[in-house]
Formats: sequence, C-alpha cells, structure tokens
Amino acid sequence: MEQDHDQSQEQLDLLQTITMEVTAATDLASALEVVLREVCEKTGWVLGHAWARNLDVDVLDLVAAWYCGDGELKGFRTVSERSHFERGIGLPGRVWESKQPAWVEDVTNDPNFPRSAAARTAGLRTGIGIPILSRGKLIAVLEFFMRESRSQNEQLVKVIVAVAAQLGLVIGRKKAREELARTNEILQSILSNMGDAVIVADKDNRFLVFNPAAERMFGKGAMTMPTTEWAHRYGLYLPDKITPFPHDQLPLTRSIRGEAVDNVEMFVRHEKAPHGLWTEITGRPLCGPNGDVLGGVIVCRDITQIKEEEFFRAGQSRVLEMIAADAPLTDVLASLVLLMEGQAEGLRCSILLLNRDGKHVRHGAAPNLPEAYVKAVNGAAIGPRNGSCGTAMYTRRPVVVSDVLTDPLWTDYRELAKICGLRACWSTPILSAQGDVLGSFAMYREENRGPLPEENRLTQIATHIAGIAIERQRQQEILREREARINLAAESADLAFWILYPEQNAAWMSEKGRLMYGFDSNLPLTCDLILSRVHPDERADVKAAYDRSCALSGTFESEHRLLLPYGRTRWVIMRGRCLKDEEGNLLETIGVTLDVSAQKQADLQLQHQREEMAHRNRVSLMGEMTASFAHELNQPLTAIANNASAARRFLERGNIDPALLQQLLQDMVADSQRAGEVIRGIRSLVRKETSVRALLDLNGVITDTVRLVSSDLLSRESVVATELDPQLPHVNATLVQIQQVLLNLIMNGLDAMEGLPPVERRIIIRTHSDKGDVAEISVRDFGMGLPKDQPDKVFDHFFSTKQKGMGMGLAIVRSIIEAHGGTIMGENASDRGARMIVRLPAVRGQTQTIAAA
Amino acid sequence: MSDAGETEAKEVCVVDDDPSVLKSIHYLLASEGFKVRAFNKAEDFLTHAGNHHVSVVVTDIWMDQVTGLEVLARLCAVSPKTRVIVITAREDLAARATAMAIGPVAFFMKPFDDEKFISAVRDALSQSAK
Repeated sequence: MEQDHDQSQEQLDLLQTITMEVTAATDLASALEVVLREVCEKTGWVLGHAWARNLDVDVLDLVAAWYCGDGELKGFRTVSERSHFERGIGLPGRVWESKQPAWVEDVTNDPNFPRSAAARTAGLRTGIGIPILSRGKLIAVLEFFMRESRSQNEQLVKVIVAVAAQLGLVIGRKKAREELARTNEILQSILSNMGDAVIVADKDNRFLVFNPAAERMFGKGAMTMPTTEWAHRYGLYLPDKITPFPHDQLPLTRSIRGEAVDNVEMFVRHEKAPHGLWTEITGRPLCGPNGDVLGGVIVCRDITQIKEEEFFRAGQSRVLEMIAADAPLTDVLASLVLLMEGQAEGLRCSILLLNRDGKHVRHGAAPNLPEAYVKAVNGAAIGPRNGSCGTAMYTRRPVVVSDVLTDPLWTDYRELAKICGLRACWSTPILSAQGDVLGSFAMYREENRGPLPEENRLTQIATHIAGIAIERQRQQEILREREARINLAAESADLAFWILYPEQNAAWMSEKGRLMYGFDSNLPLTCDLILSRVHPDERADVKAAYDRSCALSGTFESEHRLLLPYGRTRWVIMRGRCLKDEEGNLLETIGVTLDVSAQKQADLQLQHQREEMAHRNRVSLMGEMTASFAHELNQPLTAIANNASAARRFLERGNIDPALLQQLLQDMVADSQRAGEVIRGIRSLVRKETSVRALLDLNGVITDTVRLVSSDLLSRESVVATELDPQLPHVNATLVQIQQVLLNLIMNGLDAMEGLPPVERRIIIRTHSDKGDVAEISVRDFGMGLPKDQPDKVFDHFFSTKQKGMGMGLAIVRSIIEAHGGTIMGENASDRGARMIVRLPAVRGQTQTIAAA
Repeated sequence: MSDAGETEAKEVCVVDDDPSVLKSIHYLLASEGFKVRAFNKAEDFLTHAGNHHVSVVVTDIWMDQVTGLEVLARLCAVSPKTRVIVITAREDLAARATAMAIGPVAFFMKPFDDEKFISAVRDALSQSAK
C-alpha cells in the first residue's frame, strides 16, 4: 500500500511536471522531449522516442526528439531513424492501427517487430507504444524500451497513457491556438490589404473592425460615437450628394438591426476626399451560435471611378441627344466643353469652328475662357504658325504646345495668353466623316505640361462628338437652304409639294399646298384627308389611278377637280412618284400639285369658242348647200302635193278605186317621212351640241355625205367619185363633226375648181387603212392646188385663197380632227390639184367587212 | 276645157329620176284622165321619143347623169315638135332662161300648183294637136 501510495504520488508528480512543462513548451518537439525524458527518468525506461505521422506518404517517421538512458543505444536509434512504419506494421504501426497502448515483453522475439535484430544488438527487451490522440485523431506514437524483460505493468501503462493523454490535450489546445492565431493573422492581413472597406460594429454600435480601406474611404478611424452622428461625422450622403444619409437607414445600422443590406449606393465626402467618392455597400448581421444578433458587418466598395465613368457617359449621351434633337450648335458645344472640363481638375476647353471659306475661324464654345481671349480669337485666320488651334486646323494634325510663353506658334497670342493665365494649350482638329476640317478642340492648363493619357482620351471623345454636332448642323443648314430654294421655286411656280405615307395614312404638305387644298397650317394631314378634297365625281378614278401607280412603282399623274370648303372648285394637275425600299415595300409618294384652274377656264372658253366657230361654219355650209336642201325637200313635197291633188280629183269624179286611193295615201305618208328625215339631217348639222361620240363606219358616212351634196354637185356641174377600202376599220367619232369635215373638204374642192370646164370638175374621195390602227381619208381635187411654199398654212385661221371665204373652214377641220386624236395634212398632187389627208385612230378589232352601199 | 275624148287619145310622157315624184305626177295626170307614160331615166325616154310620136313631155331638168337641159337639146333633135313642160326643184334663173330659149311651153318649180300644171299639160296637148 505504501509502495502503491508512493507510486501514485510519484505518478501524480510526474503528471504535474509534465503538464506544466508541456504547457510551457513552445512547440511539439520540445514538449515531446520533456515527456520522453520525464517518463524515462521517472518510470525506469532506458530509451524513449516518438513517431509522428508523415502526412505525405501516410507512414510513421521518427521525430527528432528522443531520450536515451545510456550511450550504447545509438545503433538502435539509427535503425529506427531509417524505419518508416505503415499502419499495423511494427510496434508504432500496431498502436496507430489500434489507437491503444501496446506492450511487448520481448521485442527480440516478437514476430511483428522489424527492428528485432537491432534491439538484440542494443540489448533491449521490453517495449511499449502509447498513442497520442487529439480529438480522436492519432498525432504521434510514443515508444519506450527497457533492457529487462518485463511483463505488462498495468499501472505503468496507465501512467504513461495519462501522460500521453495530457500531451495530446496540450498539443491539441496549442494547435488550436496556433491555428486561431494564424487565421487571425490572415484575417488581419486581408482586412489591412483589401481594397474594400470592412466595418464591423457590435450591438452597442461600437466599432470592432475598421480596416485601413475604411479609413481611407471614410477619413477617420473607428471611434466610439452614437450612430446618429455617423452620417455627419463621416460625411455620408444619399446619391443626390446633398441629403445626409438618415442614420436609421445606414447600412451598418440596418445590419446591426439584423437586416441583410445589398448594394446601397452612398456618396461620401470628408476633408481627405473633398470631391467626394462613391461607395456601394453590402451589409450582413453578425450572428452568434444561437442565431442572436451580435452586431453587423458592412463591406464598402469604392465605385467612384465606375460612377464617374457612368456620369461621363451619361453626359456624352445628353450631348448626343441634344444633337439629335437639333439643339442650337452653340448650346451643344458649350455642354460638350463643360462635360470635358468636369472630367479633370483645372482643365479648360474651347471649340473653334472653321468657316466655310476654310480660312477663318469663329467662336464655337469656351464657357470658361476669358471673354477678351474669345473675342481676340474669333475671326482669326488659320495658318502654319497661328497658335495651337489655327495651326491644328491648318495642318490637320494635333498641336501640343506645353508652354505658350516660349512656343514660336504662339508669338501673336503670347501676351494675351499671359494676361488670361493660360500656359499650356493642346489643340486637335475636328474632322468630318469625309475628313474635312470642321474646327478644333483645345485644352488649356495653367501649368506648362503636355497632355496625360486620360486627357488625350477626353480629346478623342470630344473631337468625335463635336464632329458629329458640327457636321449635322452643316447638313441641316444645307438642307434648310435647299428647302428654302425649293420652297421659293414652288411658291413662285404655284406648286404644292406633298409627301404621302400610305402605310401610316400620314401626309405632309407645303404651305402653298395647304392653301391650295384649303387646310389650316397646323391641321395634321392624312392621305384620306387629301383624297377627300378631290371632287366626289372624280375621287374614285383618282384613287384607282394612284393605287395603280403604287402597284407598278411608277409615276402618278392625274388632272382633276378639287372640291374645297364652301363649294369652291379648283382644277389641278397632280404628279407624283412612288418610292419603294429594297424589298419593294411602298415607302412614300412624293409629288406636286399644280393649280390649273385659270388655264382650264381658258381652255373651256377656247373650246366653247371653237364649238361656236364650228357651228357657224356648219350654218355657213348649210347656206352653201341650200340647193341640195331645197331639192331634197322639194322632191317629197312635190310628190305629196301631186298625190293629194290626184286623190281629190279622183274623188270629185266619184269613180275612184279604193285600192288606188289607199296607194296614194300611203305614198303621201312615205314622202312626208322622207321630208322629215331631210329636215332632221339639216337640224343635226346646225345643232350646237355635237359632242356625242359613237363607233362610226367612215365609208358609210362618206356615202351619205356625198348624197347630201348631190344636188349642189349637179348645179355646180361637178362630180364626186369615191374609192372606198372595204377593210377600213371603224373609228370612235362624232358623226356630225366628221360630216362637217367632209362637207368642208368637198366644198373647198368644188370652190377650187370653179374656173375649170365642167368636165374637169372632179373630186375623188378615197379611204384606206395600212395596218388597221389608222383610218385614212383623202379628198383630192383638180383645182389650183395649195400655196406651194407652205401648204399647211391653209389650216390657219383666217387664211383663205378664196375671195368670199372667211378662212375658217380648214382651221375648224383641223381642230375637229385633232380633237379626235387624228391628223390632217395638205399636199399638192403630182399633176395638179390638192389632196387633203385625214388620219383618225382606228378602234381595234372593228374592221368593216362589207363594202358600204 | 277641151274635149275629154280628144285628150284621152293623146299620151303624156313624164321623166323624173325621183320615183316618188314620178309616180305622183303619173297619178295626178291620170286623175284628169290623161294617158301617161313614165320614165325613170332620161335615156329611156329619148330612146322612146326616137321611135314614137311624143306630143307632150313633162321633165325634171336636174336629173342625175344627164341634165334636163341636155335632154331638151337632144329631144329637139329627135322630136322637134314635142311640147316640153319643165319641172325643177331648184330655182336657177340661168337654167330657166336656157330652157325657155330651147322651147318649153311651161316652167314649174316643185312643188307646183296642180291646176296650173294640168291646164299647162292640157294646153300643150291641144297645141300639139293643131
């Protein structure tokens, strides 16, 4: 018991010593050394060493620390050093596998002890292996040997196991502490080196972490103050850059409240960042193991550059939008200059425009340059030594003048520059898409230096946008001038311009057009609205003609009436052209409308006059034909009178045959009708309205007309012969007018032959058709012929070769023929006399098959 | 008025190219009991006059093909004793003068007075009978 007590006390001491020393040890090796030494010295082992796991190859290797009771064990140590034990192999392997202590009474005789020979040589007999475990994992195996062969002593094993357990605990704790320290170091390193600001605060709003990036961003280190003061102290603003960030909405405050905060933008301004910076903040609550909120963490990213780039882009877009909206060029350029100046500290810019003469400049925009300077430059000439801008425009290359006080290009402007405080001026020509110089963009600085890459980038953007603006303005100018010219031409030509967009049922019309069509200047126009002005009688035809031309992509032309408000009408000619895209879709119809009311009125008057003349001509022809008419009428009248008289006489005698009486009455009726026909014929010739056209057989008309004048032919002792082409096609014409033509030609022929002996007074009327599309009539006489030098003069008004003639006949003949779309010409026949040739357009498919009777 | 039997025996020739006029004169003369021989063409009449005795002829002087004056001239040659009554639809003083010079006994404008015409025919017949 005493011994037991002593042993127990000894073991307690050992445990205490080892615990203290192990705890004090700085690393595993020195801790092991303590354990090996103490165990050997206090419990009678001659050799103690340790095996640690080689994690690379998963074997146990001997560690450096060891204890040796005497010097003769070096050989075994060397062998052990060369040994590597896999799981289950040898004493260390057995312990590794079982994680239990192993006692070997005689290692020299153990089948699973590869070092038995060395042990024998060293005189070692008993061995023990003890596992060192940390959180159930094998860290190392302790191995002790003694020279005596000794059976397993449970008490000893327990002590060593306890020591090993203690060692394991200490090692585990130490390792954990080391790991924590390292993690902390890494964390600190991350926090110190990361670009994003990280701020952690506890529930009481005390800052726990305020990394260097946070200090850079917010200007001050972590300090204890109420959250209500954070916005003020750290210069935190809403994105409007003015309103202080409400403290209860601060991302950190919210995250401490337990909210997740994502991508909140904040503007920050403090003494170290007077221009302010932009940050984007993400926040999360810090939770304890139970899920209770311990505080909050926010990560703030500096997005100043992104934001500025964004603003710059937005600024560019605004300028481009101004260009697109046709804002005045000076406004556009001023906005552009201000935008560029806002991109760099101390930067001033200007834009000069090159006049269209290509030799002089004029002021474009320079909102921050002294007015005196602007005035001095305005109107200056460009040239090879004319400041930065004049030279840049002249050479078409960028000109960098780092110091205007010394640069020879600035000789003429040096004093002015000095007064205005300008030192450096870099100018770049603004070019059009075609490469023409439009102007220049210049940057000014008060210090003498050349441009930075960022400034060059700005110049590139500025010249590009300015080029677009100036070029567009020039094009607009040209367009406006052209439009003005066209409008002027249109106004003076009484033309209305219009554009129709049938797809959208939209339309545009010039002011003149609106006046012509009776639309108010601000009334929105549609195709339908324009069509509605066309006279109802002609609307369908106009629409059909328009649709047809659209379908054929052709041109559109129509003469029609407009019916305007209050019932006014106007005669117009509309001409248009359809424009289509590459796929053949109708885009628009552009065109003009010409007011022809005046001409139309004149035309109608002229037509009326012509009809009047034609009528007089017919009446006068009637006068010449009285013999024929008298004869034609007298014949039936004579027959009627005779028959009536005969009937009366038969009746007086009282012996009349009823059949004879009936015959007489019948003849009288027939002759009355015949007389009526003659009168009707005369009336139709003298009637004024003569415009009804019909399909006419010219051969028949000629035969009838010759019969009409037969009496006159007899009295004039003249003959009319006809040679009629049975294949003559029909024509579409007015009967009376064609008769009038024939009568005029026959009468003229007869007049021309008055001085000839009766036997020679002949007229030959011939019809003829070549290809069936023209019907030709020729009237030939044997008279004196036409004036030799100008045979066509006979068709002129008031030209006459006859003493009593009015000179109207042939002029009327020609106007009638031309109104029928035909022609008439006069020629002298080869032997003698004149030949009048009338050609009328034939109606296709209407050929005469039977010769006229 | 002459004796009806006397006139009946004598024939009156009528020449006119207008069928209805020719026919109506035929009826008119027939209604007074004259014997009528009608000719539509002047040539036919001249042929007839060459072969027969013609006492009286009533002729239009503006017929187609052969003018009435020509008929008169040739009739003078063929049958100088024939009494000629001219009817015309057209007033033409020159033609009238020429006709009277050749020798017609009467000249009528169409349409004419039936009584005067018939008495002229009757007179002509009676003169021719003498």
